[in-house]
Amino acid sequence: MKKTILGELEELVLLVVASCDEDVYGVPVMEQLQLHTGRDFTISAVHTTLYRLEEKGFLSSSVGGATAERGGRRKRLFTLTAAGGEVLLEIQQTRTRLWQSIPQTKLQLMGLSSNPF
Amino acid sequence: MKKSTNSLPNQPPRWADQLLEWFVAPHLLEYIQGDLHENFHKRVAKVGIARARREYLWAVFHCLTPFFTKRQTVKSSYSNQPSTVMLSNYLTIAFRNLWRQKAFTAINIVGLSVGLASCLLIVLYVLHELSYDSYHAHADRIYRMTMHARMDNKDINLAYSSGPAGQALLRDSPGVEAITRLRKEGAFLVKHGQDIIKEEKIAFVDSNFFSVFTIPIVKGNPKTALVEPNTLILTKTIAHKYFGTQDPIGQSLSLGNLGLFRVTGVCEDVPSNTHFHYDMFGSFESVKTGNKWLSSGAYTYVRLREGHSLAQVETISRGFVSKYIAPEIKEFFGMEFTEFQKKGNRFGFQFQPITDIHLHSDLDDELEANSDAKYVYIFSVIAFFILLLACINFTNLSTAGSASRSKEVGIRKVLGSVRTQLVSQFLTESVLLTFFALLLALVLVFLLLPSFNVLSGKQFTVSDLVNGRLLMGAVVCSLVIGLLAGSYPAFVLASFKPITVLKGKLQIGGRGGWLRNALVTTQFVVSIGMIVATIVANRQIQFMQNKKVGFDREQVLVLHDTHVLGTKAEAFKVELAKLSSVVKVASAGFLPAGHTSQSVDGIQFRDGTRTGTHRTKGYYIDEDYLPTLGIDLAQGRNFSKAFSTENSSVLLNEAAVRTYGFKNPIGQQISTVGDGSEGSKHTYTVVGVVKDFHFESMHQHIAPLVIFYGKDNDQLALRIQTNDIPTLLQKIEQQWKATTDNPFAYSFLNERFSKMYQSEQHISQLFAVFAGLAVLIACLGLFGLAAFTTHQRTKEIGVRKVLGSSVTGIVTLLLTDYLKLILIATLIASPIAGYTMSQWLRDFAYRIDLPWWAFALAGVLATIVAVLTVSYLAIKAALVNPVKSLKAE
Repeated sequence: MKKTILGELEELVLLVVASCDEDVYGVPVMEQLQLHTGRDFTISAVHTTLYRLEEKGFLSSSVGGATAERGGRRKRLFTLTAAGGEVLLEIQQTRTRLWQSIPQTKLQLMGLSSNPF
Repeated sequence: MKKSTNSLPNQPPRWADQLLEWFVAPHLLEYIQGDLHENFHKRVAKVGIARARREYLWAVFHCLTPFFTKRQTVKSSYSNQPSTVMLSNYLTIAFRNLWRQKAFTAINIVGLSVGLASCLLIVLYVLHELSYDSYHAHADRIYRMTMHARMDNKDINLAYSSGPAGQALLRDSPGVEAITRLRKEGAFLVKHGQDIIKEEKIAFVDSNFFSVFTIPIVKGNPKTALVEPNTLILTKTIAHKYFGTQDPIGQSLSLGNLGLFRVTGVCEDVPSNTHFHYDMFGSFESVKTGNKWLSSGAYTYVRLREGHSLAQVETISRGFVSKYIAPEIKEFFGMEFTEFQKKGNRFGFQFQPITDIHLHSDLDDELEANSDAKYVYIFSVIAFFILLLACINFTNLSTAGSASRSKEVGIRKVLGSVRTQLVSQFLTESVLLTFFALLLALVLVFLLLPSFNVLSGKQFTVSDLVNGRLLMGAVVCSLVIGLLAGSYPAFVLASFKPITVLKGKLQIGGRGGWLRNALVTTQFVVSIGMIVATIVANRQIQFMQNKKVGFDREQVLVLHDTHVLGTKAEAFKVELAKLSSVVKVASAGFLPAGHTSQSVDGIQFRDGTRTGTHRTKGYYIDEDYLPTLGIDLAQGRNFSKAFSTENSSVLLNEAAVRTYGFKNPIGQQISTVGDGSEGSKHTYTVVGVVKDFHFESMHQHIAPLVIFYGKDNDQLALRIQTNDIPTLLQKIEQQWKATTDNPFAYSFLNERFSKMYQSEQHISQLFAVFAGLAVLIACLGLFGLAAFTTHQRTKEIGVRKVLGSSVTGIVTLLLTDYLKLILIATLIASPIAGYTMSQWLRDFAYRIDLPWWAFALAGVLATIVAVLTVSYLAIKAALVNPVKSLKAE
């Protein structure tokens, strides 16, 4: 399989979609991101990222229910694909391996917590 | 924040939404806008309307990125589907439509196929003309060496070169790889066993002739076959004619006075696209060629070495003049070369690429009458115009016919067809139609090929037509025509707005009307131009045929090859003269039309102190010649047996008297230069002057002519007076058979005369045919257009009738539109055709003035044809009961 590099935002969005039980659309993804990172994201940035991930095959989308506050406009609902899951696992494994290769004392000396896992 | 009037409370700013809607691609808009709105409402609840609005704006601005603006390409969503499904649907619809509108389809296909067929025929002709001599290996390096001179202010351009010139070139120029020479010696009576057959196509060539020209030798040794004198190579056809299935090698044939020839080889027939067509090739050694530069000649072909430029060879040939010719000038003309040059005389050689000979060479003594590049251009232009007319027709009719398809387009659009699909649908239809037309055109060409061969003087076969390249070209061409001609209607149709179309409004009426009118006008410009050309060409030919030529060409019978009678000729003449219907018999080797002997000599004259030399054509005739041909004397007397000094008497024509400047020609002395030797110089006394007669074609002014007393028994001319020519011919043939075994052949002077202008006649006939075709196609186009507009004006006609308009009134109304177009077309076509035809006429020394009525006649003809075409429709429309036309929706 061709390695696909994910940017930071892409990884975060993918994680957010993965963490939701149901299909999600732009607004909740943006809110979750804000909640977890404390940073502000624009809807357009979130949408761009979602579509990119769909293009890469990590997300799939469907069209879903319209509400009054949306002015009757439908939602584009996203859900994680198997490929998306795989790429998340792969990322996690890479990170873990890297974490394990950090000398134990190094972070302790800096006064930081030693083991996040 | 100031509330904008168009923003509702608790709603995001309207203009920001509009910006968003304008900017963001439709397939993304719904979701992003929905999310933005949802978020906006949440933010209103949290932070208040003003801040939410600001945030909304901010968010919208963030959407202004290329990602959101990029429109989805429609193609991508269809490209996955198998396109054959749609294609088969298009084809079904196309067939149904074509079938439903049978008349339209027929007009369309017939028009296009007539255009394509004539175009194919012309292309066949033009390609053949262009292919002359290009099949020889290294054709690009083969040149013909020609001789050019200027003497006594007269240009002499000869297709051949001095006899020794070729060898000298091979000797002196390193760039020359090979030279080969050819001599023609006229016709021979070929004797094989008891049979004697006259063969005209005999040439005598160097032994390397077949290595320079790619005509394969199928039998015999190509290297040695023509080395010895009296050896002969025959073409396959002629070998079969003489020897049947026998092996011709080693057989012998007797060639007239040259004696017995041994056949040493057989070659393929000379391809039709060669500038010579000989059946027999004797060895060059068999005939005598002088070694003087000024009095010997041979057609000389030069093949250059690869990489050597022609310029080099040209430079060397320029040196020949002072090296070889200058000494001979003194010998022949009795003056130094510098003096010769001072008088404005010069000599030189030129080299023509062999591939240019057929179309671009018009020198004296060509091996065959060549064609003219002009005609290739003319016919290419005609082919282009006819095709253009057919395409215009096609576009016009398709566009007009598309009106009835507008509903279909509307429905298709409503059902989700996109523009590209519609365009491709209509292009499919027009390509389909062109291929039908091409098929029909091929059938037409197949049927017309024999008559086209007669018309064009070529021998095309079906295999020429279906040789891959031409057919491929035709298919590709049809495809292009289909796409080009179909593109206008296709785009017009595809741009229909479904709502307007389905409401029943026709959009096509006004739009494109001017275009259709312009197209029809163009068609008529071409048609009228061609009609004018046909009229002018016909008039000129009639003029040439009917012009007083200075001799009486009716009732003159010419017997051929009477030289074979030898000593019996006189007795035979006497016998003929005894026949009741024969008025006079004359030896007539020289004749003003058809096959004739040729004689040119330098004539020196002395008039008081004035002297001059003119290269003048000569005739050798006996005392009966002038009365037999009906040539009148202007002054003096005819030759007569009563004078014993006739061998030093001479007659001049009036042109010669003018050229030599004789005030009182009778009794003047002239002398011939001959070949320069004293023995060949003779002095003659002028005893009479004949009235000018056309002894050459009317392309040339009547040149000076010197008439010597002598018997040229090559042909006999008989002035006859009978209505029963077959009986006379029978009697003469009996006489002939009693005297000799040789074949009996004859012709009539008036027929020979008509044949002189055969190429002009061909051209004029072709013009007439193609003018007819152009008119036919233009009429089809007009008919289609008229049908369309009349249909569109049905209501208007109904209303007019209800309000009291008469049938004539309505017909006039409908016709005026087209008559206007034709008037404009006549105005445009006249100057163009006038200019072109006056150029064509300049080729003739004797020509008609451009008849002004030709333009009027062409215009009137076009009008009549157009009126006939349109009036059927107009009258039909005018007669319809208004109730019907007003009811029709």
